[in-house]
Amino acid sequence: MSDMVISLSNVTKYFGTFEVLKGVCLNVSAGETLVICGPSGSGKSTLLRCMNGLEPYDKGEISVLGLPVGDDMSQLTKVRKKVGMVFQNFNLFSHLSVLENCVLPQMRSLGISQFEAQREAQSQLSRMHLDIHAEKFPDQLSGGQQQRVAMARALCMKPEIMLFDEPTSALDPEMVSEVLDVMQNLASRKMTIVCVTHEMGFARNVADRVALMYRGSIIEQGTPNKIFNAPEHSITQDFMKSVNHL
Amino acid sequence: MSNTKRQPPAHKLNWYASLRKDYFAGPFDTFCTLVLGLLIGWLLFRLLDWGIIKAVWSTEHKDLCGYETGACWAVIQDRGRLILFGLFPYAEQWRSTLACLVIIATMGLSCLPVFWTIRRLPLLWISGFSIFVGLMRGGFWGLSLVTSEQWGGLSLTIFIFASVFIFGMGLAVVFALARQSNMVVIAKGIGLLIDLLRSLPLLTLLFAAAVIIPLLTPDWLQGSKLMRVIIAFSFFFAAYQAEIIRAGLQSIPSGQNEAANALAMPYWSKVIDIQLPQAFRNTLPSTINQAVITFKETSIVTIIGFFEVMASGNAVIGSGEWTQQFVEVYVFLAVIYFIFVFGLSRYGAWLETRMRLGHV
Repeated sequence: MSDMVISLSNVTKYFGTFEVLKGVCLNVSAGETLVICGPSGSGKSTLLRCMNGLEPYDKGEISVLGLPVGDDMSQLTKVRKKVGMVFQNFNLFSHLSVLENCVLPQMRSLGISQFEAQREAQSQLSRMHLDIHAEKFPDQLSGGQQQRVAMARALCMKPEIMLFDEPTSALDPEMVSEVLDVMQNLASRKMTIVCVTHEMGFARNVADRVALMYRGSIIEQGTPNKIFNAPEHSITQDFMKSVNHL
Repeated sequence: MSNTKRQPPAHKLNWYASLRKDYFAGPFDTFCTLVLGLLIGWLLFRLLDWGIIKAVWSTEHKDLCGYETGACWAVIQDRGRLILFGLFPYAEQWRSTLACLVIIATMGLSCLPVFWTIRRLPLLWISGFSIFVGLMRGGFWGLSLVTSEQWGGLSLTIFIFASVFIFGMGLAVVFALARQSNMVVIAKGIGLLIDLLRSLPLLTLLFAAAVIIPLLTPDWLQGSKLMRVIIAFSFFFAAYQAEIIRAGLQSIPSGQNEAANALAMPYWSKVIDIQLPQAFRNTLPSTINQAVITFKETSIVTIIGFFEVMASGNAVIGSGEWTQQFVEVYVFLAVIYFIFVFGLSRYGAWLETRMRLGHV
């Protein structure tokens, strides 16, 4: 594969005595859309959160954009400036307006002037059709709108990689598509995306590669066509069956 | 209470019907309403009779005081300035008035959200305090020097409250953050300090600051007695307020911090922009409560020789001439305290409503 932007080798992590990641190796190349799926508790979210240092890990190595992700805070900060993250529960700053949510991180992390930050925020918000909500507070918006604000906030930082941690799991069903549309649009513009999701439709249609996690390991990965239509591993076959039953 | 089934209000009752429904629904309700109503009415009438109708208002008629008349407000006319200004030199009392107004204006302005930025608030308070101290102390531009031992009355009360609140609030934030520190020594040390401060009576602490510190420290380190007392009081306030802020910090969902981390926001920004505003918003009622308690507790400095508004009131009663009028003096003092404390709690209520609407 061409230029690797995320590379994990032998990443191992324990919660107490429970081994949540068992020596995971994974590479993501620039412009790729990788979807990680798997049953609950398989360690998908933990793996994703290791990639920008939100979770520490015990063994192995992670490097993102050539920078080590580990204890070195200054390197980690550099990584985080280039890696946007979208959470399951949106995690918008509840005491700030939509616009302030998008403006403040730019000013504080990138040292951009307020004027520039506002211009960028406004353009991101209007791209997501959120400009009419700019002065509102997060709790005045629907879940789908909040998640789009969260994406706008992350994109304002002009990231090279976007991490999505079950971005649609906390949404009402009718709001899922508005969020997935934005992600699909990002993927088509060749943003590097790593997404943990249960949206198999998204995985099938948008992903370049799908990885299946089971009990702390990636047991199978490949193109959506292969994973969905001709899975090799028996666990993948079972997982696909159970998902299709839904 | 009526026994009828609760029904959704189909339409709004007019005032007569709602009065009837709420207070005269049955014989027992009517009885209670009438008895309590009469009692309250009678008490109000007595108060009005005593406080206004039969009151003696002017010192010209002070001979009448005590002979089957009501309140003798002449004492306030005669000694009001002593209560409000304490021992501050008579001719210079305009300075104390002005200083008092400046500090009230500073408090008022800092209540407005426009001033809630990291630059404006300290600037406002530094200038407010400088003007206050300048006016009170004098010693320049032909203003005669009035040392803090001579300060007194209402302006001293407000000055002590404002300094303790501001300085103590800053300390409380530092305490609360230090207590959450990853460094065990700092976290445990501050925890111990907070517990220690909370286990001591305020009086002991102030007494130690006023009397014992000068015995132990060199002269150049002592500062004025007022300063020492304010610092000790601030530590006491900070110990309680730090726990309030800590509760506020703990009530913030962990996702807020994770989002800030993922966005590479630096530590100071996480604290100032994300954590503290949310912590203060979550704990506003307790903070207002603490402020009210502190305002009333300022009267305790009397004991170590400060002539704040309560002590001045006591001095009026103790002067011989007005010994009989202690009720009037205390009512006057109560009204002063009421105005400030009621203002504080109304402000708190206003802030809460504003925050419920989503704004900070």
